[in-house]
Amino acid sequence: MSETPFKISIPDAALQRLQTKLELTTLPDELDGAGWDYGAPLADVKRLVSRWTNGYDWRHHEAQLNASLQQFTRPIAVDGHGTLNIHYVHQRSEVTNAIPLLFVHGWPGSFIEARKILPLLTTNSANHPSFHVVTFSLPGYGFSEAASKPGFGIKQYAEVGHKLMLALGYNEYVTQGGDWGHVITRKIAQVYGGKYSKAWHTNMVMGQPPQGDDAQTELSDEDKQLLARREWHRKKGMGYMAEQSTQPQTLGYALTDSPVGLLAWIYEKLVNWTDNYPWEDDEILTWISIYYFSRAGPAASLRIYYEAMGPHKTDAERGFADGAAPEIPLGLSHFPQEIVALPRSWSRNLGNIVFEAEHDGGGHFAAYEKPNELVDDVRKMFGQNGPAFGVVAGKSGYSTEGKSGL
Amino acid sequence: MAETPFKISIPQALLDRLQQKLALTTLPNELEGSGWDYGVPLADVKRLVARWMDGYDWRHHEAQLNQLPQFTRPIPVDGHGTLDIHYIHQKSEVEGAIPLLFVHGWPGIFLEGSRIVPLLTAKSDDHPSFHVVVLSLPGFGFSEGAKKPGFNIAQYAEIGNKLMLALGYDEYITQGGDWGLAVTRKIAQLYGGKHSKAWHTNMVFGDPPADFDPSTLTSEKQAALARTEGLMKKGMGYRHQQSTKPQTLAYAMTDSPVGLLAWIYEKLVAWTDRYNWTDDEVLTWISIFYFSREGPVGSFRIYYEAMGNETVPMQAFREAPAPEIPLGLSHFPGDLVVVPKSWSRMMGNVVFDSEVHEAGGHFPAYEQPEALAGDLRKMFGKGGPAYGVVPKKLGYRN
Repeated sequence: MSETPFKISIPDAALQRLQTKLELTTLPDELDGAGWDYGAPLADVKRLVSRWTNGYDWRHHEAQLNASLQQFTRPIAVDGHGTLNIHYVHQRSEVTNAIPLLFVHGWPGSFIEARKILPLLTTNSANHPSFHVVTFSLPGYGFSEAASKPGFGIKQYAEVGHKLMLALGYNEYVTQGGDWGHVITRKIAQVYGGKYSKAWHTNMVMGQPPQGDDAQTELSDEDKQLLARREWHRKKGMGYMAEQSTQPQTLGYALTDSPVGLLAWIYEKLVNWTDNYPWEDDEILTWISIYYFSRAGPAASLRIYYEAMGPHKTDAERGFADGAAPEIPLGLSHFPQEIVALPRSWSRNLGNIVFEAEHDGGGHFAAYEKPNELVDDVRKMFGQNGPAFGVVAGKSGYSTEGKSGL
Repeated sequence: MAETPFKISIPQALLDRLQQKLALTTLPNELEGSGWDYGVPLADVKRLVARWMDGYDWRHHEAQLNQLPQFTRPIPVDGHGTLDIHYIHQKSEVEGAIPLLFVHGWPGIFLEGSRIVPLLTAKSDDHPSFHVVVLSLPGFGFSEGAKKPGFNIAQYAEIGNKLMLALGYDEYITQGGDWGLAVTRKIAQLYGGKHSKAWHTNMVFGDPPADFDPSTLTSEKQAALARTEGLMKKGMGYRHQQSTKPQTLAYAMTDSPVGLLAWIYEKLVAWTDRYNWTDDEVLTWISIFYFSREGPVGSFRIYYEAMGNETVPMQAFREAPAPEIPLGLSHFPGDLVVVPKSWSRMMGNVVFDSEVHEAGGHFPAYEQPEALAGDLRKMFGKGGPAYGVVPKKLGYRN
């Protein structure tokens, strides 16, 4: 049997080493009144390091993750890259004909991003469809093995996701993703769409300004706000991308060796990219710990940027606009604090848009920040009256014993 | 007396802590056959860390550095209080030597200017002599850094000018590359004519003419432009990060010796030209950053202040008006930007162009001190285009 049940179990020695390093943390100073302008504020980082050193209980959170997420590993062969041991969560619904759904995370996300939507998507109800949910740790993230040689790009990540679904017996499935999850599920839709992937949904809506006559349309005030945030991200928030897509190994030494260095690097995004999400310190630390204790180490998680957007790639590839738009049905969920949020009119060329929803709040990590809203959208898209109802033949998402529930 | 002689003396506790941290170094893996494509190779870093832990003797190098005549003195900066500034000051035996301020950049340090000191101060009938001041920019080396936002190029320039005045050099010339170019350019703009009489740089750039046709360049020059383009595509991540989120970067760079090592070493190799770094040389350079008064973060903030809100790229290096005082250019083939000489006229009032040297990159004062010193001697010596710019300081014995 290729599938092996998995429980996270970080060795004591690793916890001890982390503790020793934390106790030796050396912090920089900060300019007076810097706030968030120069990066993650010193007070926040001090507080988090202090908690991490004293009070934060990894074993407790490890146990919670193991209790709430049914995890497995299995070997997946990738053309030209040998076989990688892939870590994933697989939660089946009670509903036999639930729709198989693959959720794909990005950076600095992980499988943990699915923890809130999982129980919602799988739950049985007469009023909405159910899903069998699969989410995997991207190679180089969480507890998946990483690629060992150059050239493991978006196509390869897509191959892993697709092959995992097939291996689980889901010959036809749908996908949901944001961040790299958007890019990877787009590739899945391009390469495996129609035959295997039947529809895709994203919360990171990309796009281009309209050309020609369409460009004359006046922008609404809301649009201007969206563009202002997008511009702020572009001007002030993309240093990480510039480094990770050109010199990931150089940065990798620091993020591997320094717990506080890794903490600050990721924490800055967890705050800047969310919509005032009320992070608790332990929540942050669990998120960071998954990176710190990851099978391949934090440096491996940076390489996707180089492979997908590095100096050797074309502009189209870097803009994730390579190849024709996928033909399978596409659903969009717009969250206003998404960092690449843009006027709706700019996303018409993304694909075959059959579903679209807007929200009042929420940012980049929609599945984590707004699980109810995101799941609601996915249910509407695939539900009985939805535009993508029945895309997976024989998997309507509803119990066949009649729809009246009780 | 405001000036205090200075000797580097890192407390033993810091050396011990560094060793403790090094002993706990956790290294990433590396993709097979990745070479330098993804960043600094693992083999280099492993070797340097091993040496840093066992064999590298900081006290020995500290003692060698202390052979340089170093000082500190408080310099007030409008709106920013008073900063304690670290510098090298070596007078020439020649009384009428030309006062010269050398300004480094990033990841430069005062050490960068140390090799040209004995060359420039040496007396000779055949070339001029200089009194040399090598400034540690605020936030670098053992200079105090800014405490609040807004410490921009004008403030760095104010420090440089005030230092020269405090040393009794009412009129002087400057040499600088990288941020040293931006700072000495600002000095030339703000204090040129009255105090700064001429400026020299090794960081040469320029725009192509409007009717530029690439095919008219020699294949050599085309290759140089292609190389520059490649370096820009590949090597600007550090700049992007430092100019937008220096504090976020600072936590890793302050806490991790190997992290800092890799970050800077990447540039020490990429930006030099056939320079054979020894491991101990690299470690001394990195150690100065590691042990610097403000820590590595002090050196990042100049990017945020001077580049974080640019309206045009490289604004701090080229904003109008170009200074009027005479400008000299030294051309080194391995610098990041190498352009045809004709393009660089826009940098200012160019009175001196060196030959294109055989070798040398972004840190020529360190890599090719003889070549750089030679250029300064030509520019300011008898018969040179800037001879006598500093009245009564012609650079020769009477």
